[in-house]
Amino acid sequence: MRKKWIYGFQPWVIPFALLLTWQVTASMKLVTPSLFPSPISVLVTFWELLMSGELVRHVFASLWRAGIGLMIGGLIGFALGILNGLSTTSYRYLDSTIQMIRNIPHLALLPLVIVWIGIDEGAKIFLVIIGVLFPIYINTFHGIRNVDHDLVEMGKMYKLKGWRLFKDILLPGALPSIFVGLRYALGVMWLTLIVAETIPTEVGIGYLATNAREFMQTDIIILSIIIYALLGKIADIIAQIGEKWSLKWNVSYNKEL
Amino acid sequence: MENLKRIAADHSIQIDIEKASKSFGEKEVLKDVTLTINKGEFIAIIGKSGSGKSTLLRLVAGLETLTKGDLRFDGVPSTQSTSNITMMYQDSRLLPWKKVKENVGLGLDGNWEDKAEKVLDAVGLLSFKDVWPSKLSGGQKQRVALARALIHEPSLLMLDEPLSALDAFTRLEMQNLIETIWSTSGFTALLVTHDVREAIRLADRIVLIEDGKIAMDIKVHAARPRHMSESKLSLLEEEILDRIINGQEPKINHPRKTSNL
Repeated sequence: MRKKWIYGFQPWVIPFALLLTWQVTASMKLVTPSLFPSPISVLVTFWELLMSGELVRHVFASLWRAGIGLMIGGLIGFALGILNGLSTTSYRYLDSTIQMIRNIPHLALLPLVIVWIGIDEGAKIFLVIIGVLFPIYINTFHGIRNVDHDLVEMGKMYKLKGWRLFKDILLPGALPSIFVGLRYALGVMWLTLIVAETIPTEVGIGYLATNAREFMQTDIIILSIIIYALLGKIADIIAQIGEKWSLKWNVSYNKEL
Repeated sequence: MENLKRIAADHSIQIDIEKASKSFGEKEVLKDVTLTINKGEFIAIIGKSGSGKSTLLRLVAGLETLTKGDLRFDGVPSTQSTSNITMMYQDSRLLPWKKVKENVGLGLDGNWEDKAEKVLDAVGLLSFKDVWPSKLSGGQKQRVALARALIHEPSLLMLDEPLSALDAFTRLEMQNLIETIWSTSGFTALLVTHDVREAIRLADRIVLIEDGKIAMDIKVHAARPRHMSESKLSLLEEEILDRIINGQEPKINHPRKTSNL
């Protein structure tokens, strides 16, 4: 108990030391500040952009793309995973095709997507959809397939069929695996968004960074990168909370990390 | 136990197994088995691993289908029967994502919650109704599984080595509980076990299966609750073990053979 405050403090030691080193080296001005801004000047830029409302606008544009893409791609992946997990016939028809498409690095589609869909919102969201679909598909599929067969047999003995068998046994059994897929998909989602937002646009964090590059505003570029990192971390924390909540019955998820 | 009487109405079924055979591919696991289990009877099926005793149970449960022969409940072909058959497995098979009460009420509609609490009370676990199964001991899990089987008011309760994973003390407790509940509610009980002592403690009749055939079918005449200290029962245990290990016919109880070797 006495040492608890130290545990909370430990993870922050290295980040803080790095930040301090950065501030010290930057203020020694070995490199011109326009190429190597100090953390404080990044913070000032952050404050200015926040106050002008610019930052919120860009962050929301990016969040919207990410969210819509995740929702559509996630739903398709989830539905396909459930379908192929439950039906061997459907699995035989669909799975090898899905695996073929999955093996194309989706970011390699970028030039084709620009030519076919254009450079507006659709192209960016499309890339996110393709990116998140497969991790969710695979993990949902395996989750359903690996549900304890004994529990399914027990459920049938107690006359569970169709929707109830799915809701009471198959889905909860597959949930841990589905969450693994979701968290992996979130990582892919941000990565895809960063690349997709280099397609010319007028709003979004990617735009913020690309635009800043034109004017050599290194502080804004660094700020954009930090925002991407923060958003990624926040999304993961939210997914983790959802995971903990829905798996509260599972002892191994209840342990304090 | 009064509660239980109201929950589990006094009904039970007769099971007729006639010339039943079951093969898995080339391997014939059950060979021409004929067996009648009377209404309300507590029957124990014993045998070594791989003797076919579990297959017989799974056939009656409808988890396997017969290759040859007939299976009837109260004279009706088992596939058309509407009798309530429930089962306790070796592992409790509770759903870890449902709390105890929800596990007991699995698959039920309407006002199941009161009933669930009544059966939980009957197995002595009412205070655990809002607990996750992962917090229960092995014996408690099996009590919940028993409650889940009882809430359906079974006319046949099948017990697939449900106590073999428990420690000796818990096993005795559970045997008493099962016996009490069986004698109160009056369902037909079919226990598969390789614990001869357990079979003698609980069953009206013991059927030994060897190599897919019925090798022995004897009645246990003793008042309940039974104590293994009774010399008659320990003698019977010795005789049966002798029969299993050395292939000798038991001398007491005048075995009623239903199958010729």
